[in-house]
Amino acid sequence: MGRTLPSITQEFQQEEASFARFRRALRRSDQVALDDLFALARQHLAAAAYAAHALPFETFLLCMLLEEHKEVMKLKQHIEESRARKEE
Amino acid sequence: MPEKRNELRGWLLDIFPDEQGLMVWVLGEDGKRQALHHDFSISFYVAGTASQLRELWKWLLLQPENPRLSREERCDLFIGNISVLAVELVYPSDLSPLFNRTSQTFPNLTYYNADIPITLQYAARYNVFPLADCEIKIDMQAHITDIRSIHSPWELDLPLPPLSVLSLEPECDPFHATPTKVHIQTPQARFTLSLEPARVFIISLCALLKRHDPDLILSAWGDTWLLPRLLQMSKETGIDLPLNRDPDQSIKHRDARTYYAYGQVIHRGKQVLLAGRWHIDIHNAVMYHDYGLEGIWELARVTGLPVQTVARVSPGTGISSMQIVTALKEGVLAPWRKQQAEHTRSIMDLIRSDMGGLVFQPTIGLHRDVAEIDFISMYPSVMARFNISPETILPGIRDQNTDLPATSTEQGLIPKTLEPLLRKRIAIKMQLLTISKWDMRYKTYKAQSAAHKWLLVTCFGYLGYKNARFGKIEAHEAVTAYGREALLRAKEAAEDMGFTVLHMYVDGLWVQKKGSNKVQDLQPLLDEILNRTGLPIALDGIYRWISFLPSRLNKNVPVANRYFGVFQSGEIKCRGIELRRHDTPKFISEIQNEVLELLARSPDADHISEYLPKIQSLIDGKLYDLRRQRIPLEKLIVRQTLSRPVNEYRVPSPAAVAVRQLEGAGKFLRPGQTVRFIYTLGEPGVYAWDLEQALDPKKVSVHVYKTLLDRAMETVMQPFVSMQAQPFLPLFFSDVGNTSINFSSLL
Repeated sequence: MGRTLPSITQEFQQEEASFARFRRALRRSDQVALDDLFALARQHLAAAAYAAHALPFETFLLCMLLEEHKEVMKLKQHIEESRARKEE
Repeated sequence: MPEKRNELRGWLLDIFPDEQGLMVWVLGEDGKRQALHHDFSISFYVAGTASQLRELWKWLLLQPENPRLSREERCDLFIGNISVLAVELVYPSDLSPLFNRTSQTFPNLTYYNADIPITLQYAARYNVFPLADCEIKIDMQAHITDIRSIHSPWELDLPLPPLSVLSLEPECDPFHATPTKVHIQTPQARFTLSLEPARVFIISLCALLKRHDPDLILSAWGDTWLLPRLLQMSKETGIDLPLNRDPDQSIKHRDARTYYAYGQVIHRGKQVLLAGRWHIDIHNAVMYHDYGLEGIWELARVTGLPVQTVARVSPGTGISSMQIVTALKEGVLAPWRKQQAEHTRSIMDLIRSDMGGLVFQPTIGLHRDVAEIDFISMYPSVMARFNISPETILPGIRDQNTDLPATSTEQGLIPKTLEPLLRKRIAIKMQLLTISKWDMRYKTYKAQSAAHKWLLVTCFGYLGYKNARFGKIEAHEAVTAYGREALLRAKEAAEDMGFTVLHMYVDGLWVQKKGSNKVQDLQPLLDEILNRTGLPIALDGIYRWISFLPSRLNKNVPVANRYFGVFQSGEIKCRGIELRRHDTPKFISEIQNEVLELLARSPDADHISEYLPKIQSLIDGKLYDLRRQRIPLEKLIVRQTLSRPVNEYRVPSPAAVAVRQLEGAGKFLRPGQTVRFIYTLGEPGVYAWDLEQALDPKKVSVHVYKTLLDRAMETVMQPFVSMQAQPFLPLFFSDVGNTSINFSSLL
């Protein structure tokens, strides 16, 4: 409403839609993973809007990486905890 | 005629121009209502090249209105001081005809102060306002020579004049069925009169008007049906109906209109405006359900607009009226048509500034001991605190330290207009916190606070509206930029102090910290945020638990404004769920509300399972009633606002089908109006509520209402499903973990 540029949510939806052909050619199980990645990026739309990059898809990729890394850190901690428990 | 007296005290009721000047209606201390004359000359201003203005001067000298002409130096807000031609008229009623001819003959000149309502001019010159208690000086002919208000509109607890009110209410909604009776309430009694025979009714109403001489006729559907009907009856019977107090004035009519504002199509019915007394139609007044008459009085006082007008205009008109009064008082010109365009700028600049408020994605799920803190009137506070106004924004310049748009130091027009309003709003909020709910003032303060809120909310929008007299997009964007900065500083403050930020929404934050669940635990954070942002912030409350809900379409995607929770006081707060929606039938929203109230009784989230059997039996009972046709049909009505004309609906939605049914019965709806219907069995599946023939309760589609109920229950129950701890739950929901939870499958 009353905006010159599309909102970040609109940009996000456009980017996601532009990968429809890519998604279609993926295996069903990979499609699910791809959808997950986009859902992860969605959690940081506010930050992406605030960043105001000319190419928002770069920011969306970084959002996906960020969530992936959070998962890695969580798993790492989990492994270390269970290893520590074993050694006790 | 007053004898020797040359001063009187009274309340200002109404002002309008007549052939000789202004008529000022006053309710005297002695209870007498009288119209006083006031000489009031009025000017408009013209800017252009010297030769154009010379030509205009020569032309104006030949006009019958005989204006007084002079060259003056005046301030255009966007340009600074300029030389203008001042065109002064002795009689205010001459301004509009002369101006219309002038602007048609000289279309290329810039005009100022040409279309300002007379009441605002009066308010600016004499510092008075509608409903003000005034000291009035008059001469021998009962002409006003001076008028002064005893109070300022910014004081709390302003006294209200002893108004006489006559209420007229048809027995039913005229759109639903043709009323045959009218309920009438006078200051003394309440009774019902039949509209037929017309002669008897009109004679009785005349007698009532003469006996009670009301200051206000408060009607239901008076604009759209009752008053036009009464005038018609008066014409047919040949009996004069003195609806106007001033017999020399005619009754003013305004046509219905439909417009688009804040993402909604809005319909305003036609209007019937009276002279010397007011007419307010509770169904055509803006936000009447929100702030009532008390809010209307307050809006008239602070905006300077006449009571009848302010009851019917959007808050946007209210705030721009306040800006005009400030401009007139400051000697700043109010442009007739704004000439200012947006500055050109780079695409990067646009990308960085064309943004709204900061809206986070909340962490989905159930959370305990969460505090909600909100900035108080954030955007208006930002404008006042950081001096944001169209003329104070320095184009293209950013503050070196903060990277925010820079502003000049001299106080701007918008902050000057807002400051007293903000101060009054905060004072009233403080009062509301200290006085009891049973205090006489509580209701008044609540209404006034609601009225102020709408003015403040729209003030921000008007800065960005291209047709607003004092709007400028850069100023509008600066407000959101400062708002985002404030919210981020608040987030940083909260995180520095060990809080987890669960959600942020434009001007509010939801924060959580182990062990912080008392009011005093949050005070240090509030102080720190005030310190870092310079903006006042308050604790809205601490939730025992709150649940942020995911999107209906994707369970992993959070939605910014869909949540419900229970404060420590037991009060429920919810946004974006069925019971907040206008199109949810009462049957559904009431059950959802009852379920929330049951959940709210649980002292904390761990004990919620104890309440589940109660919820189950509540729903069983309601569904039983629905099947047995024991639910009143009124509670099954779905209300939908039409967003476009019915022939533009490509898919025949239930609303469109209902509108077509009404059209078949000769009842027409326009965009912005509401259509009411009930879901029925078979084809076409809906029945318009406003059709003449009442619906047979057997035809109601139990299936559709059950589906709607399931969906509403899923919304409030799904956060507790994932808790999984209760063995009861898998039984409770037939299909746990799937979006299509069939809540009532066990029934």
